[in-house]
Amino acid sequence: MMAPRRFMWMLLAVPAWASFVWGAPVATAAGAEAKPMTASAATPAGAVAPAAAKPAATAGVKSPDGCVTCHLDVGGAQVDAYKKDIHYQKGVGCSGCHGGDPRSDDQDAAMSKAKGYIGVPKKADIPAVCGKCHGPSHGQASGFHLKDMRTDYDASAHAKALSGSDAGPQCVSCHGSHGIAPASDPRSPVNPLHVAKTCGTCHGDAAYMRNFAPGLPVDQYEKYLSSEHGKRNATGDANPATCVSCHSNHKILEVKDPRSPVYPTQVPATCGHCHADSKYMARYHIPTNQYEEYKSSVHGEALLKKSDLNAPACNSCHGNHGAAPPGISSVAAVCGTCHQSNAELFGKSAHRPAFEKEKLPACVTCHSNHGVKAPTDAMVSMDKPAPCAKCHRNDGSDKSAPTILRMRVALDSLSLGGILAQRELARAESLGMDVSDARYSLKDVNQSIVQSRVAIHSFKLASLVEAARPGIRVTVLAKQAGLDAVHEYRFRREGLAVSTLIVTLLVILLYLKIRQIERSQKNEKK
Amino acid sequence: MGGLKDKLEAWVQERIDLVPIREFAAKKKVPQFVGSFWYYFGGVSLFLFIIQVVTGILLLMYYQPGAQTAFESVRFIVVKVKFGWLIRSIHSWSANLMIFSVFVHMFSVYFTKAFRKPRELTWYSGFILLLLSMGFGFSGYLLPWNTLAFFATKVGTSIAAVLPVLGEPMLELLRAGKDVSTATLTRFYGLHVAILPAVFTVILGAHLMLVQMMGMHEPEGWKSLPAEKRRYMPFFPNFVLRDLLLWLIVLNVLAILAVAFPWEIGFKADPFISAPAGIKPEWYFLFMYQALKYFPAKMGMMEGEAVGVMLFGVGGLLWFLVPLWDTRTPSGARNRTITWVGLFVILFIIALSAVGLR
Repeated sequence: MMAPRRFMWMLLAVPAWASFVWGAPVATAAGAEAKPMTASAATPAGAVAPAAAKPAATAGVKSPDGCVTCHLDVGGAQVDAYKKDIHYQKGVGCSGCHGGDPRSDDQDAAMSKAKGYIGVPKKADIPAVCGKCHGPSHGQASGFHLKDMRTDYDASAHAKALSGSDAGPQCVSCHGSHGIAPASDPRSPVNPLHVAKTCGTCHGDAAYMRNFAPGLPVDQYEKYLSSEHGKRNATGDANPATCVSCHSNHKILEVKDPRSPVYPTQVPATCGHCHADSKYMARYHIPTNQYEEYKSSVHGEALLKKSDLNAPACNSCHGNHGAAPPGISSVAAVCGTCHQSNAELFGKSAHRPAFEKEKLPACVTCHSNHGVKAPTDAMVSMDKPAPCAKCHRNDGSDKSAPTILRMRVALDSLSLGGILAQRELARAESLGMDVSDARYSLKDVNQSIVQSRVAIHSFKLASLVEAARPGIRVTVLAKQAGLDAVHEYRFRREGLAVSTLIVTLLVILLYLKIRQIERSQKNEKK
Repeated sequence: MGGLKDKLEAWVQERIDLVPIREFAAKKKVPQFVGSFWYYFGGVSLFLFIIQVVTGILLLMYYQPGAQTAFESVRFIVVKVKFGWLIRSIHSWSANLMIFSVFVHMFSVYFTKAFRKPRELTWYSGFILLLLSMGFGFSGYLLPWNTLAFFATKVGTSIAAVLPVLGEPMLELLRAGKDVSTATLTRFYGLHVAILPAVFTVILGAHLMLVQMMGMHEPEGWKSLPAEKRRYMPFFPNFVLRDLLLWLIVLNVLAILAVAFPWEIGFKADPFISAPAGIKPEWYFLFMYQALKYFPAKMGMMEGEAVGVMLFGVGGLLWFLVPLWDTRTPSGARNRTITWVGLFVILFIIALSAVGLR
């Protein structure tokens, strides 16, 4: 027979427990079904996790534990859930989280503040409660080999949100409370097959997100479902990336934080963690050289070596949450998000329908994709491996071949003209002549080179020549300025020689005159 | 031709009596001895000054003072103006050669004791001309408004500030403000093209007039020499033609220097950058600049640098007043102290300049 006072406490405790569980911004996915996970949530890439801890029928809190004994008697949803909880199975009783003295038969004594009873923890305190075991101070001492999740969480954007509002996410928001299962357990809301939905519960709720990050999109989950990763995940494949694969799990940092695995300069390595792993990707039969190619590409060099955050990373072309390879027909549009003029000219050119007919991906056909290099004039050539030579023939049968060669002449006139002008100006400068005006004018040549390289995407000789002509004119004038300066230098030297000669001659004549005068003066004296 | 010359002379004679001038020219003579060569440096200085005036006026046609225009206009002169590069280079080289020539002239006068009575005023005016020449150099150096000039002027003017009481007002007077700015530039421009030329011309006129009035100084040793052993050269035409000969040689040297080693224009002054390493004043200020470095930070109640500046002031004053304290030479006795002091000053200038140039 249960004491009336104890019974009253139980009645009060039930709604409190309910608020603890359901008061969190996300619903626990207690009923979720899934295949056993293999992708660990603790690393950006889905490393294979140890075997899941199966529920042990014989496990449970060992007696004497008054809290457990009594609450099992009372029953209820929380108690039912707790029976399947990993903590219960590992021997952690109610007092593990709620405090109190489980050995005491006296309910008042057991649930007294003096014995450390805290009741339902405040939301803001939950990380500290869980952190008692899952924090830095516990470590290996418990024998459970627990990771320090508390420290990671404290550094996260979620902790920052919780510090500003009780509605912010904490442990229970993702893991639930009395029915907590390991991430490897298909019942867990953070199981790879459920984690996207769990994250989406908050991140898809515009009203909720407005409280913490009003500028953050709330369509990530929708996009994820449309991504290659999401589609495969929906089929029960736990290997493709989920939210935590890229963002990490407990130490989730804002994208603008350079330490974040999804900060622009980190994105290629984060994606490469899986996509460059040939063993991991073998089951999908896709290449794993993208990261290597990207690192040496013009985009990779700009982003990774020059830290130019404007340079594209993987997600710039493939999307991030909705990551998928762009279709052949959309390549030009994707590249055109940055290379607008090129894409526009290509769209109007004769190449577009020709490529579509041959099912050739627009930009990629000439420039390649992940390993795209800085374009050079040598690309416009009829000699292999120039891209033009892939389709056009130089045997007289192809009318385009002479046009391609003329285009190359226009480009060479510009770049070689610039080099020759530079050489002449350097020569003049080495002689001490000031040609800074001409050197300054050469800046326009670079502009013209850029415009010509854009114009070439029209694949019309006239357009290219029109773009190149102002630059060619500048190179001719600059070269002439260099030649003039060298000529002027010679003129000065020759002028000096002539003037020195004349003055020297005058000196000699004057000397002779003085001698003549002095001689005649001597004669006069005599 | 001869008829035209006679007519012209007659025309002038009717208006200006040329006879005294002719008689003066015919009578004027120059002592001929081992040290006669030093007589020419006064003429060389004058020739270089004339070149400075002519090239300076030509530069004035294009130069625009102001922080936004000075450097650009000098660049325009050097790059765009026909023979502008030559005029500017000659102006710069000639300025340096002139100061060098003035120094040589001064020391030759000093060692030959030509400053003694009755030529004290010639010495005083000459010394003032040396100071004005250095003033020309200092003010002209800033005008291209390039980095070196800017910081050298900053360092140079800051030396004035170390003087007690008068230091700060002098600094502000020189800089036209607390710092070297476009106001300093216009001030130096005014000094360089108006005030200094005006003062210099007046004093130069007085100096030349005094030289003509006193006649050429004869060596001290000649006093004991019999009249027949004293050799003279007619000033006109012999000395004048020799002067002309040397001027032509100097012109040749100047042309070679100006063309072979054109004066650099440097980079535009930027007051916001830190001073480049190794900022030095012009070579003729270097010995003073270097000497100031050896003074300790504090000397008694005063700053070491202030003591140094004042010592240079006193030294300059003593040099200027040498006709007053050299009492033995005028009485006919040999005064070796004067020679030793002169040699010490020359060695001091050469040694410290050499250390400063390293």
